[in-house]
Amino acid sequence: MLSVSGLHAVRAGRTILHPTSLDIAPGERIGLVGASGSGKSTLGHVLIDELRSRGCRVAHVCQSPDEALDPLRSMRFHWHEAERALGLELGAIDKNTLFTSLKIADGDLRKRPWGWSRGMQQRFVIAMALISSPDLIVLDEPSSALDPVVAAATMDLLDQHLEGKETAMILITHDLGLAARRVSKLMVMETGRIVEQAPTEKILQHPQTRAARSLVAHRSWIKLPC
Amino acid sequence: MIKDLMGFVLRAVVVLSGTALATFVLLWHAPGDPAQAIAMARFDALLTEDVIDQVREEAGLNAGFWTAFRAWVGPLLTLDFGRSAVTGRAVWPDLLVAIRYMLPLALAGLAIGLAISLSLAIVAVKRPGGWLDRFAIAIASLGTAIPAYWLGLLLILLFAVHLAWLPAMGARTPEHVILPALTLGLGVAASLTRIIRSGILEARGQSFLPAIRRRGVSSRGIDRDHIAPHAAIPVVTVFGLELAFLLEGVVMVEVIFGRPGLGTFLVTAIHARDFPQVQAVIVLTALMFVTVNLLIDVVYRVIDPRIGARDA
Ligand SMILES: Nc1ncnc2c1ncn2[C@@H]1O[C@H](COP(=O)(O)OP(=O)(O)OP(=O)(O)O)[C@@H](O)[C@H]1O
Ligand SMILES: [Mg+2]
Repeated sequence: MLSVSGLHAVRAGRTILHPTSLDIAPGERIGLVGASGSGKSTLGHVLIDELRSRGCRVAHVCQSPDEALDPLRSMRFHWHEAERALGLELGAIDKNTLFTSLKIADGDLRKRPWGWSRGMQQRFVIAMALISSPDLIVLDEPSSALDPVVAAATMDLLDQHLEGKETAMILITHDLGLAARRVSKLMVMETGRIVEQAPTEKILQHPQTRAARSLVAHRSWIKLPC
Repeated sequence: MIKDLMGFVLRAVVVLSGTALATFVLLWHAPGDPAQAIAMARFDALLTEDVIDQVREEAGLNAGFWTAFRAWVGPLLTLDFGRSAVTGRAVWPDLLVAIRYMLPLALAGLAIGLAISLSLAIVAVKRPGGWLDRFAIAIASLGTAIPAYWLGLLLILLFAVHLAWLPAMGARTPEHVILPALTLGLGVAASLTRIIRSGILEARGQSFLPAIRRRGVSSRGIDRDHIAPHAAIPVVTVFGLELAFLLEGVVMVEVIFGRPGLGTFLVTAIHARDFPQVQAVIVLTALMFVTVNLLIDVVYRVIDPRIGARDA
């Protein structure tokens, strides 16, 4: 069980994340939802930083690939750098299977990020996060740069990859439909606080807070395919 | 690629012929009688009119501008720099000797400048706004404000006259290069320090760095593999200018320290109105600039291929 408490963040003199505690069971799938600017990404960042400083193995997939890749460095460099950071030998991971299932096997690794499409960059970043089997993986809107079909396929691959592993997952998204199918528990954020958390079904059917109600009321999410 | 190369050759031709023509015009129309200056340099004495007239005839100054220009440019196209109007010796061997003196000085100056500015900038950005940072900026500003000749004289006064540690004038021993190189290097360091410093600070603000840190990459690795290349871009950009500054400095420093070299060669040639010599230096300098700018372009594209991709 990963337990953290007192996570908070202050930027430019403003508290953008109020003290927050989290308990994450091994293998648990949590969805983090909330309006834009409610502090989802921020919570993801401080959570990762806190766990990393404790020596946990954690992986993070940024909201945008621009925030994840150095435009001056080749894809191969990023890959090797990630391997080295995990203390692995170069080429220790069979990246071909991973790349094939993420449908980026035909990407030229000698190219720099901007030589790949954004969707491909995003999947490359996901592949980097899957190099080792982390204790926790935080996915910050992993499907934002992907088309719906590839998004669903990518999420399937993630499920497959994490199947039977202890890796817990936090899925940050605006997309309740995506969350509904992929996570067992939802946490709703509003203005830097987690205002509601409950099993997915329960929140979707009986949202308690205003933030959750406005998210759920928008559409009948459960019927969506992905 | 082929297009780039042709563009480069075209630019080189325009720059080279432009500088050649411009200097020739300037020299030709400079006030004073070139024939007299040449004759003075040749015989080192006051001269009668008919000697001067003879020199004028020999040096081809009677022929008119375009004839003289053609007489000089023609051989140049076959890489023949011609003969000195004063000594009658071929220009190229003498020029080569001058370059052999100049090159170690320029390289040492550049190396010192890079070493000082890099260490100063790296120390400064440890804590931006801290006293070390302010100290580094102050030194850099001071360095830019002090002219090379004054700095050179100060160094001579301190290290050669007062402390008597180092020789000042001439170029007999390798030690003779230290003070002039230091003068040059401090000038280079002054301007480079700010650029490197702000380059590093800007690179540190890149949005992808937190993600790379979260991937577990050490801060040393980040400095080396991400900050350094990003910080290098502005440095490479100003390197051409820096080189111009360096060359200007070399001329000044050689004269101050009484060193033979390109600067001394040029100054003597200008005094004597030795057209072929002056022109040779100018054309060579222009060629050097064109080459350096090409190299900068190549380095640029290696660091950041987006630049090449955008042009195409
Ligand atoms: N570096 C910063 N300086 C100042 N304010 C910041 C900074 N980073 C984030 N914020 C503010 O913190 C709040 C939360 O930002 P955050 O990126 O965590 O939101 P989010 O829930 O991920 O939004 P989105 O769904 O649009 O990605 C926002 O109001 C944002 O303006
Ligand atoms: Mg976000």
